[in-house]
Amino acid sequence: MKTNEDDRIQHLLKQALPPVDAATGPERDLWPALLRRLDSQPAPHAGWVWFDGALLAGLVAFAALFPASIPVFLFYL
Amino acid sequence: MKTHVWLRAYLAGIFVPTLVLPLLLTLFIVVRLVLRVPVPIEQALIFPMAVVPTLFGLWNMLYLGTHERTHLPIGLHGALLPLLLAPIGATVAHCLGVLQFGSDGVTWFRACDVPYVLIAPCFVAALAAYYLVWKYVVGFLNKELGIGL
Repeated sequence: MKTNEDDRIQHLLKQALPPVDAATGPERDLWPALLRRLDSQPAPHAGWVWFDGALLAGLVAFAALFPASIPVFLFYL
Repeated sequence: MKTHVWLRAYLAGIFVPTLVLPLLLTLFIVVRLVLRVPVPIEQALIFPMAVVPTLFGLWNMLYLGTHERTHLPIGLHGALLPLLLAPIGATVAHCLGVLQFGSDGVTWFRACDVPYVLIAPCFVAALAAYYLVWKYVVGFLNKELGIGL
């Protein structure tokens, strides 16, 4: 009884889903195009690198101008 | 590596203060023993040795626990820590005699005079320093330790 039910479900599923064609696929190789697209896009956080570099430069300048702040910073690290 | 994730977060958090502490100790020893400046080294080391590493570790654990809800970048999360650390450190330092308030400014370690007008820029610089440390060092360690953030 249960086997008949399974067979019926299997048959219905095969009817509902189209068969996968083995020859289906892109007409050309898409990988080089993907690589070109990745190369053309800037890194997602490239702007932040400049911001962080500016912050670091500002910190170094601050420490150079006010060396008394260095031990205070070390106290908090 | 899916076990002990909180322990790994704690260890990644305490990495930076644990590295800085010997530098601070060396600086204080040089200033006190070589340059003969009467720095209260015993009192000055209590906060960076006992409080700062623990808070860094706990702060990273807090980041691990809240990141899914807040989606706060780790740099900004770290930059919030001075808001907690600065008053605690100043209070501890003042109670231990490391920080004295004067009419023109504060005196750290009985040697470093910082005018009041410089306190706000110092605090902003501390926020920037914490942002960079957390973004690049703690964030890197979190990834390396497989915390998966």
